[in-house]
Amino acid sequence: MTKKNSVLSLENVYKIYQMDGVSVKALNGVSLTIKEGEFVSVVGPSGSGKSTLMHIIGCLDIPTSGKVTLEHHQVSKLTERELAQIRNKKIGFVFQTFNLLARTSALENVSLPLVYNGTAESNIQEKAKEALEKVDLGDRLEHHPNQLSGGQQQRVAIARALVTDPAIILADEPTGNLDSKSGVEIMEIFKKLHQHGKTIVVVTHDQNIASQAQRIIKLKDGQITE
Amino acid sequence: MPIKQLIKVALKALQTNKSRSLLTALGVIIGVASVILLISVGSGLKGYVTNQMQDMGSNLIMVMPGDIDLDKIDPDAGGSGAMGSAFSSMSSSKLELDDIKEIEKSIPQIEDAAAMVMASSSVKYKGESKIAQVIGTTENYVNIRKSDFEKGSFFTKSEVNGGRKVAVLGYKVAEDLFGEENPLGEKVKLGEYRYQIIGVMEEKGGQGSMSPDDKIFVPITTAQRQFDQDNISLIFTQVRSSDEVSLTVPLVEEVLKRRLDEEDFTVLDQKEILSTVSNILDTLTIALGGIAAISLLVGGIGIMNIMLVSVTERTHEIGLRKALGATPEVILTQFLIEAIFLSVGGGITGIIIGSGGALLLSKFMPTTVTLWSVMLAFFVSATVGIVFGIAPARKASQLSPIEALRYE
Repeated sequence: MTKKNSVLSLENVYKIYQMDGVSVKALNGVSLTIKEGEFVSVVGPSGSGKSTLMHIIGCLDIPTSGKVTLEHHQVSKLTERELAQIRNKKIGFVFQTFNLLARTSALENVSLPLVYNGTAESNIQEKAKEALEKVDLGDRLEHHPNQLSGGQQQRVAIARALVTDPAIILADEPTGNLDSKSGVEIMEIFKKLHQHGKTIVVVTHDQNIASQAQRIIKLKDGQITE
Repeated sequence: MPIKQLIKVALKALQTNKSRSLLTALGVIIGVASVILLISVGSGLKGYVTNQMQDMGSNLIMVMPGDIDLDKIDPDAGGSGAMGSAFSSMSSSKLELDDIKEIEKSIPQIEDAAAMVMASSSVKYKGESKIAQVIGTTENYVNIRKSDFEKGSFFTKSEVNGGRKVAVLGYKVAEDLFGEENPLGEKVKLGEYRYQIIGVMEEKGGQGSMSPDDKIFVPITTAQRQFDQDNISLIFTQVRSSDEVSLTVPLVEEVLKRRLDEEDFTVLDQKEILSTVSNILDTLTIALGGIAAISLLVGGIGIMNIMLVSVTERTHEIGLRKALGATPEVILTQFLIEAIFLSVGGGITGIIIGSGGALLLSKFMPTTVTLWSVMLAFFVSATVGIVFGIAPARKASQLSPIEALRYE
């Protein structure tokens, strides 16, 4: 692969937390590259630093040292405000607990990222509807989260992640709160998105889920083991 | 992010918590409504009293028996001391009709002077009967007090000099005794004596003892004889022009001092009374408004409290919004807009309720909704929203998205 196709690269990234005066190295010199169209899983036991890695990939946090590049943006040098804008345009989050706004329709939930990037009001509805149709929820536009099953809620969340056409879809234990049937459905959607050329990163502790990805990154004690 | 979208997001957030939003705004609603209502009562009272005073006529100087010091009428003493002595000294007055003649004659600035004696008496006509205040006065009373007539006219100088038993009824007295009937030429019984009615005054409005509608006017000579009052309760004099009022007051005092042994009278000019009364009522209005303003402040603290609780309760939501691309400024603005909407919305509702309440109350007492009280209440409530919204909004904007997302 040529360098042009790299969506995200981490070079020698450290993240060190101070806890009660003791330095904890959550990430201990991580380097990795994720290329356009890749389906990658990050797997590791709890305490391996996978949450911290996810925060850095998701531009929710910046490293203590090292270089993070997301589509030509030097993420490690950005302010909180710029990080928020990068998250909006380049990252599509899918969370374990779905994180939909309660008492708010599926359509409005999916619209939210578009509202924050100043998309023209006339386009918002149309784009949100399109995204929901992609996850087969075209008939649930006005449903509130409490009227949807867990699997359906997670599909709304995926639609929300898709709606801004981000560089990376970043999923954190996306099947963790779902029954196995719904879990399979969600993974099928990710596979389908991957076939359509989306770049997907799934963070999980579940080997079965991880093994469905194209490439597995194993993390232990803040370092990549393979 | 355009402000229009931000407002939409904030409104949506308020809408998803309808009852909480309503209860929070209630504090401001009550505060603003009570500020407007209480100030309207104070202003209404002031307007009413000022009107009554101006209705008395213009450029007036009044002479009352007894030594009254207006400065001593302060709210702390209840005003009873000075006012009480004023009323009790009316009966022991040493002022006489000749004093008025002397004032009129020797002071060129005085255009007209009328004397008054007052008494209470029963009035009877056929079956109807009531108690009314009888005012014995001279013919020029109507010139000074600028009175107009519904029917007939006032008594003349010769009727005063002759001590004739003629009476002019106040509007309400005529209405109570005669209803639709024409009272002119009819006779009413004042106490033991019959008086012929020669006029009915035009309606002046107002309530209680201040209103001339509930009075009966008879020649002063007749009244002095019937009610056995040699002395005079009150003198009204009218000065040629308003510039000469303050200059004339000491002249009147001088004339009376020469004629009476002791200084047992008080000369008041209308403006002085008006300014004293309106000072008292202004203080009252400010005090009422101040009390109401405290409830507005409490309403503001209520907003801050709820917004702070709301930030904690919605930590997870804030984390999500940040993950989806809301910058700290966007979160700050959203929460600030929510607080402002609560306070301004509450303010506008309060203005409507307060003004409506004042309108309802105006059926029972004078109220005036003043523009300044509405403006004040509105700007205070908006400021309350901003001031008390800033702390929670800052707290929300500074939350770390990672911590916030982890918060359950």
